[in-house]
Amino acid sequence: MPSLFRRKRLMVVLIGFIVLVALIGFSIRDRDALSTPEKFLQDTVGWMQTIFQKPVSLVDGTIENIQDMFQVYEQNQVLKARLSEYKGVIENNQRLTSENEELRQTMEKSEALSDYSPIQATVIARSSERWFKQMTINRGEEHGVEKDMAVMTSDGLVGKIKSAGAFHSTVQLLSGFDRSNKISSWIVREEQDEAFGLIEGYDDETGRLLLEGIKLDEVVEKGDTVISSGLGGVFPSDLRIGTVEEVVNDQFGLTKTAYVEPFADLFDINHVIVVDRAAESIENAGVNEGEES
Amino acid sequence: MKRYVIALFCLILLVLQGMAMSWLPANLIYSDLLITPHWVLGFLIILAIFFDRDDTYFAVWLGLWFGLLIDVVYTGVLGVYMVTYTVVIYVVHGLNKWLHSNFFGSSVLAILGVALADTCLYVIYSFVQITSMTWGDYGLMRLLPTLAANMIFFVILYPIVKERISLWSEELMNT
Repeated sequence: MPSLFRRKRLMVVLIGFIVLVALIGFSIRDRDALSTPEKFLQDTVGWMQTIFQKPVSLVDGTIENIQDMFQVYEQNQVLKARLSEYKGVIENNQRLTSENEELRQTMEKSEALSDYSPIQATVIARSSERWFKQMTINRGEEHGVEKDMAVMTSDGLVGKIKSAGAFHSTVQLLSGFDRSNKISSWIVREEQDEAFGLIEGYDDETGRLLLEGIKLDEVVEKGDTVISSGLGGVFPSDLRIGTVEEVVNDQFGLTKTAYVEPFADLFDINHVIVVDRAAESIENAGVNEGEES
Repeated sequence: MKRYVIALFCLILLVLQGMAMSWLPANLIYSDLLITPHWVLGFLIILAIFFDRDDTYFAVWLGLWFGLLIDVVYTGVLGVYMVTYTVVIYVVHGLNKWLHSNFFGSSVLAILGVALADTCLYVIYSFVQITSMTWGDYGLMRLLPTLAANMIFFVILYPIVKERISLWSEELMNT
């Protein structure tokens, strides 16, 4: 009898190990969509989080409002001073917009890479496992969110949709980016054309993004702004990413690598905008062509 | 019925565990120290000590299901928390015979359990290359702060649930 018991325990350990390896193997590969049970669980937990979040955000908002009230006078002074500057900028902007539209019409090109429709979302939870830099937002496929869409705050890009459930989705933050999710981007410089580069990862120690593949003869300086180029297929162009902090030659000396400080605070995020690109993304376009032929 | 209430409480802890990461002050949680909450595990350890008899394995099953739920909701890599929590609760359940079921004994088990669970997670996640920390960094930056934070939670949770759990356990025994 004891040997039988021991054998049973050994079987459980072996089966457990096989299940572990199988489940990790199943879930770690690059999946297009979550399985239905996963979506269901994610939405169920998401709704519970939304319920719990309501009272807390109320208290949080009230405290913030009271703090804001003390600063109203000073802010008002600063804003008044700025207002006169903006009037000129607005006129200039309107003129440029109408000119841009006219030029587009003459070229018969209606959709720009920079056009997108925003989906407003609230962050309801973050991963409790710190090695996974991801958070949950309260918008999903029913609201038009799809995998790989860009996610930004008013400051700049914060990440992209890792997986979308029916009513909630998971966002992979910039700090969790690696070589499998590159962002094609432009470095905007004064009095020069944009330089091209790819954001290929994140340096945990300094908290900066790695912008790789810049041509050796391009002059990139500290303080230059990095925006998305829209050539990667999913993100629209002109999303603000960050500023260049440091430029070094890469390990083979063939290209340059820039360290980019993100505009957005990746830790204190409450409200985000999911960016639904207006121009067709590469994958969708491919599908449509396939249907036509 | 009582088992459902307990499962519901686990679910609430799991939900709060993720929300705490966005509520608590950012400079505390997102410093260089990788503090990871294991609230569900803390509660399951109390269950394994005070609710389960020597021949019942309710906490172990809960560990299996809620581990899987954490995998689905918070990491997306299935099976890791599931196996870790199940094994740890089973070990705690086994060790329970050798220690007195009082505050001191259960604190020792909680420290052991959380440390074992977090180390298991580190080993598995390094195998699949989700983390690339060295053992030294891991011990200082993640294991110790995580142990400290979870012990604070355990000390708060223990007096709240302990009496009720052992009461329910006896009622279930008698019926």
